Formats: sequence, structure tokens, C-alpha cells
Amino acid sequence: MKAVGQREIQRFADGEIIFAEGDTSTEMYVVRAGKIEISKHVAGHSIRLAVLDRGAFFGEMSLLEGLPRSATARAIGNVAVLVLRPGSLLLQIRRDPTFAFELLQQLSGRIRDLNEKLVLKLATAEFGNRLARSAFMMSAAAEYTTARDTGDQPAIR
Amino acid sequence: MKTTVREDRLLVVSDVHMGNRLHRTRRAFREFVQFALDHRYSICINGDGIDIAQLSLSYLVSDLTPSLGLFVRFGDNDLRIYYTVGNHDIALEHFLTDIGRMKVVPFLSVHSGDQRIRVEHGHMYDDMFLRFPRLYFLFTAIGRLAIGISPGFYEALHNFNVGFIRFSNWVLHGFGLFEKKKKEEPQGDSIPGEQPYFREGAENAGLRGFDAVVFGHTHLHGALTLADGVRYYNTGSWFANPHCVAIDQGRIWFGPVSELVEKGDPFPMSEDEVVAAITGVYPVQVLASEPVKLVAEVADR
Repeated sequence: MKAVGQREIQRFADGEIIFAEGDTSTEMYVVRAGKIEISKHVAGHSIRLAVLDRGAFFGEMSLLEGLPRSATARAIGNVAVLVLRPGSLLLQIRRDPTFAFELLQQLSGRIRDLNEKLVLKLATAEFGNRLARSAFMMSAAAEYTTARDTGDQPAIR
Repeated sequence: MKTTVREDRLLVVSDVHMGNRLHRTRRAFREFVQFALDHRYSICINGDGIDIAQLSLSYLVSDLTPSLGLFVRFGDNDLRIYYTVGNHDIALEHFLTDIGRMKVVPFLSVHSGDQRIRVEHGHMYDDMFLRFPRLYFLFTAIGRLAIGISPGFYEALHNFNVGFIRFSNWVLHGFGLFEKKKKEEPQGDSIPGEQPYFREGAENAGLRGFDAVVFGHTHLHGALTLADGVRYYNTGSWFANPHCVAIDQGRIWFGPVSELVEKGDPFPMSEDEVVAAITGVYPVQVLASEPVKLVAEVADR
């Protein structure tokens, strides 16, 4: 751990975990050097949510909401991060006003990405439903046609 | 509003103060813009480009008009003009958007080569501006009135003001007997004459992963290397010996604008690079001879 004035820089080696899903730590981080992988465990599998580059923020959800970590952050290569604790966030904004602007910009970008993913998922699900409905109708129509041709009673579903 | 951009080649100047009756920039600024265009640089006017706070409309029209004609050509050459807002043009914050060829932004994060460079006017690190904003604007307004009377009167008032502030600080700090206030200020080297808060602002940007930081505002040009190799530049003002930062693929040159314009491009482009920049077609190294010919044909057309 290295401190520059009151500001804290932490360094991590390749593959080292910065925080794990479910942890109760509340620091947020700014990537100063290297890359960070954000992943989440779903049904026993680790799903990569994002790879963050220099200048990106992560861990802000726990800092702002005080809730356990919702994902795992792991270092890719040698990583240096600026650590911000709840008490130092406002001081950082005071010292570095564009920090707040960029934080909001990145959060806004993430909401936009999530919205796009949600819309895509809903559209896919809707398309799947419509496809299933169409397949069912075609199957029912085929059965009805066969039954009519053969004089059988069509099956009621 | 996009504040993060990728620019392979960019020139940054600050504090041109076009429209201020204290000086004329007509010819020098036009030469600078022409240089950028000729050598395929985008440009960033890093705050206080148009001096709205102390404006003379006739000076502004006279100084800016020759360059406006060139601005149009930037878009035609796939180059951009960025304008970061400073304290003398703070009214432009209402136009934080793209205005034709010009992109008006509060600050700029430039990706060039593998470098991340923060370009910001820097008034947000001015202790006086933050602590006494009304007083700051009052002084600016008084300055505008003084310039209206005569530039010489303004200079005299300015010198009196600087002397008064120094004297007040000396008295407030106990006639130099107590150094309490100084100890609260950030410690370390600064550009000569500059408040240490600017260097601290640059350090903060460095902590967030920027390799270099470019400010203006103080009218004091200079360069420093901060902790962990972060470079800090201040491009000074066009009132006297304007300086400039030239960026090419992450490489940075810092020096007077006059030297840039007279001695030529510090990062000259090869013919292939010029052709590639115009056409967007890059010659493949392994098959150098054939693709270069093809690219040259495209350029001829």
C-alpha cells in the first residue's frame, strides 16, 4: 500500500482479487494503471460483466448504498488503483471537481448500457414468445387440416 | 456532450482572450490556426479564448473573423476544434455542445497513442475563484471598466491590486511572523508564481490515471514533472509569449507558439502518414510498395 498525501494508492498483481461478491467493504476505486475484470457468479458459473480500463470507477455501488458487493473485481496484469473511502469521497470532489462530473458520466453510460441490454433481452423474449405462438398455431392448424381431411374430430388443446 | 476523445494530433493553447482591448491576436492566432490546418492538427482552445467578461465587440470581430474562415476547413479535413470553457467565457457553459465545427466542453480527456491527457482551463483550482466567486467577478467587472477607460489605467490598477493582495496576505499572516497558512497549502514544487493548488489539481488527475495534464488560467507558462512521472503543463496566455502543447500519438512537445510556427512541426508527418490521414487507408508494412501506390492513386483522385 502506498499513500500520496492523504490519498491512498493500492497495487495488485495479476489475478489478485480486489473484492469478492458478498464482501461488506465499502471503498470505491479508480483505475490508475492496468485493467480490472468485473465478474459475477450465476448458477455456479462466473460471468464476466466488464473489463475496466484506466480512469474507470468501480465499487461505487457499495460506497453509495452501503450494501454488500454485487460482483467480484480482479486485477488483469499489474494494477494500481486510487482508493476512496466514504469519508474521502466528498473531499475528493472538492479537490477535483471534474471527478464528480466523470463519475456521473460513467454511471449514466452504465445505465444506458443496461437499458439497451434489457430492451434487447425483452425483444428477444418477445420474439421467442411470438415464435412459439406461431409454431403452436401452425401445428394446431396442421392437425386441424389433417383431422378435417380424414374426418376425425380435431383435438381440443 | 462528449468529453473523452481520441486525437492522434492535437495542439492546445489557452487564454487567447480574443476581444480584450489589452492586446491584439488577429495575425498571430490566424497563423497558429493556419499552422494547425497545414500540419493536420486538431486544436483545443483551453479556456478564455473569447474574452466575454472584458469584451470589446469590435476587437473580437476584427481578431476572430480571419480565423473563422479557417475553422470551416477543419471539418472538411476531418479535424476538430475543441473549446474548453474558462472563467472569462463562463457564459459559454450554456452552449456545452457541438456548435458547428466547434465542440464546447467543460474539460477534455484526450486519448492519444497510449497516453491519457487531461486538458482543462484550471480556474476550478483557483483558490480565490472558489472561495470568493462574487469578489472575483466584481474585480473582473472593475477590470472591464478600467480597460474601457484606458489599457494603461487597467495595468496600473492591476499592479496596485497585486501589491494590495500581497500586502494584505503579509498583514493577515502576522507580518510574516506566523507561517500557519502556508503550512496548510499543498507542499512541493510549482510553476514559478503559480498557487500550489493548480499543481495539486494536476496531481489529482494523475492519480486517476492521466499521464499528462494541461492547464491555462494563471497566465504563467511552465512545465513540471509530478510524482510517478505525471507531466503538468501550463500554456500561459497570449498577452505575452503564448505557449502551446503539441500532441502526436501520445508524444508531447511544449514551447512558445512563435517557435512552433516559425521552426515548424515538432512531429512532422511522413508523406504516407499524410495520405493515410486524408484517405483513411493505411499502407501495410509487409507489402509496402503495392498498397502505397494504390493509396497514392486514391489521393490523386
